[in-house]
Amino acid sequence: MELNAGTAGTGSHETASERKEVAALESLQFTDEIRRLMLAPATDNASSFTALLELPAPQAVQLIHSPDSVKLTAVHAPTPNVDDFKGSFHFPFDSGLIERAARFSLFAGDGNINVNNKSNSLEPTSYNSTANLQKPVKSEPAETESYQALVSDPTVENRSIKRKDREKVKGSTKKNKTAAKDSSDDAEKLPYVHVRARRGQATDSHSLAERARREKINARMKLLQELVPGCSKISGTALVLDEIINHVQSLQRQVEFLSMRLAAVNPRIDVNLDSIFTADSGSLMNSNFSGMVMPMMWPEVQLNGNRQQYPQQSQFGAFQQPVWGREEVCNNYMTPENSLLSYDSSGNSASLHSNQLKMEL
Amino acid sequence: MYNPDHTKPGSLKSRFTTRFLRALSKIHAHKPISSSSPTEMFQRYQRIKAAADKSMAYSVRSRRTWSRAMLWKLRTRSCGRRSVKTSTIIKSQQAIMKKTRHEKQNENTTTTATTGEDGVGFCVEEDELREIVPGGEAMDLCNLLDETAHYIKCLTTQVQVMKKIADFYSL
Repeated sequence: MELNAGTAGTGSHETASERKEVAALESLQFTDEIRRLMLAPATDNASSFTALLELPAPQAVQLIHSPDSVKLTAVHAPTPNVDDFKGSFHFPFDSGLIERAARFSLFAGDGNINVNNKSNSLEPTSYNSTANLQKPVKSEPAETESYQALVSDPTVENRSIKRKDREKVKGSTKKNKTAAKDSSDDAEKLPYVHVRARRGQATDSHSLAERARREKINARMKLLQELVPGCSKISGTALVLDEIINHVQSLQRQVEFLSMRLAAVNPRIDVNLDSIFTADSGSLMNSNFSGMVMPMMWPEVQLNGNRQQYPQQSQFGAFQQPVWGREEVCNNYMTPENSLLSYDSSGNSASLHSNQLKMEL
Repeated sequence: MYNPDHTKPGSLKSRFTTRFLRALSKIHAHKPISSSSPTEMFQRYQRIKAAADKSMAYSVRSRRTWSRAMLWKLRTRSCGRRSVKTSTIIKSQQAIMKKTRHEKQNENTTTTATTGEDGVGFCVEEDELREIVPGGEAMDLCNLLDETAHYIKCLTTQVQVMKKIADFYSL
């Protein structure tokens, strides 16, 4: 049957995968076929199993455990020597390899079925050399005979889970980062989604949801840390939260404080709001303003002493009394200012102040 | 340099400034400052503070939970005695929320006891944050942190604008 498949001679990888167990057979036609197949470049991952044939057994086992397609494609570089292959061919009995072979043979194509059935007849004859080959190989055709993707996939999945457990036991914690990638790669091949949990963590849906939520919270905490000044140095979520709370409280107190100031301050003129946000001619008014500032300043000078002790934050308790006192004093001085200002052209000053405000804002 | 209100015309800063100045002028026009008694000053201060908060909340519209909560609070406060009943209802609701949240936290801490992480809630600080941020009672921690970030941003804008206005007026 293999001869027929060989003479069909398309170089398809399905037949090559069936050939693996009979590679020990020493027939010239066979070796030619094998040589041809091995030299043919592999097109996709499913066909990478042929690449495994080129390697000696231990390397193939290694490849199974670290499924990187890069490694497999790089394998094609060395030219295969079938004679070496024949003599030292030592089939790796890894269950992982078997299940991967099963997977590849499954996904290879439809024409596989007949080939599989026909290969069964050859089983008893081909495995005289190594008795060990029988067990893994028999399981493989058994899987392929069914050829139901859904049925075989659970078995494959079980094996893949076992493989993952073994890898976890090995303690490869660095695979945490690649775990997500692996799970996504696996998801493409199999209908089941494998989520790889980190070492020492539960894998049930509740903890997964919890973990996702915690990551969201941590991301938002980082943003908040950037917003609040002086918070990025602090480590530890509780302290960061304390800082954030303090910051919010201080901002709220500042708002209260400023509104107190604004309550006391008298707008010296009726600010025409419409003119504030219209076209600016600030430079024009600026020169006039400087002239106006001087007469205004002299009542302010006496207030400056009081004003300097005007803290921006803190001491809000003791703050109340002096504030009101000061504001009263201020008010008394405001009225002469008003008269001064009304002395000047009020219309001019109104637009002037509005422009000034606009500039500052 | 003579940019009117920052770079974007429709930015939060400009919206807030417009509203706040309008409210300020209204307050000042309503009552001239000739009367300088502390009580009247205090009243005025309260009005200005409410105006500042209101204008900030209006600038944010209803896009944020905290702005909605603040607007609602201001409205009910201005309504006066009539809203006593509703406020008690709200308070009881909030108490229920707190209880359920604590229960949830206790559950979660028992189930995730295996992990060595911080767990789900930060208990004391979280409650404090909820009290500070308006409308924070009815939110889970994730959204609460979002709202806090936006609230901080708006508060800083508010403080900046008010500072400029106060400096301008007290020149």
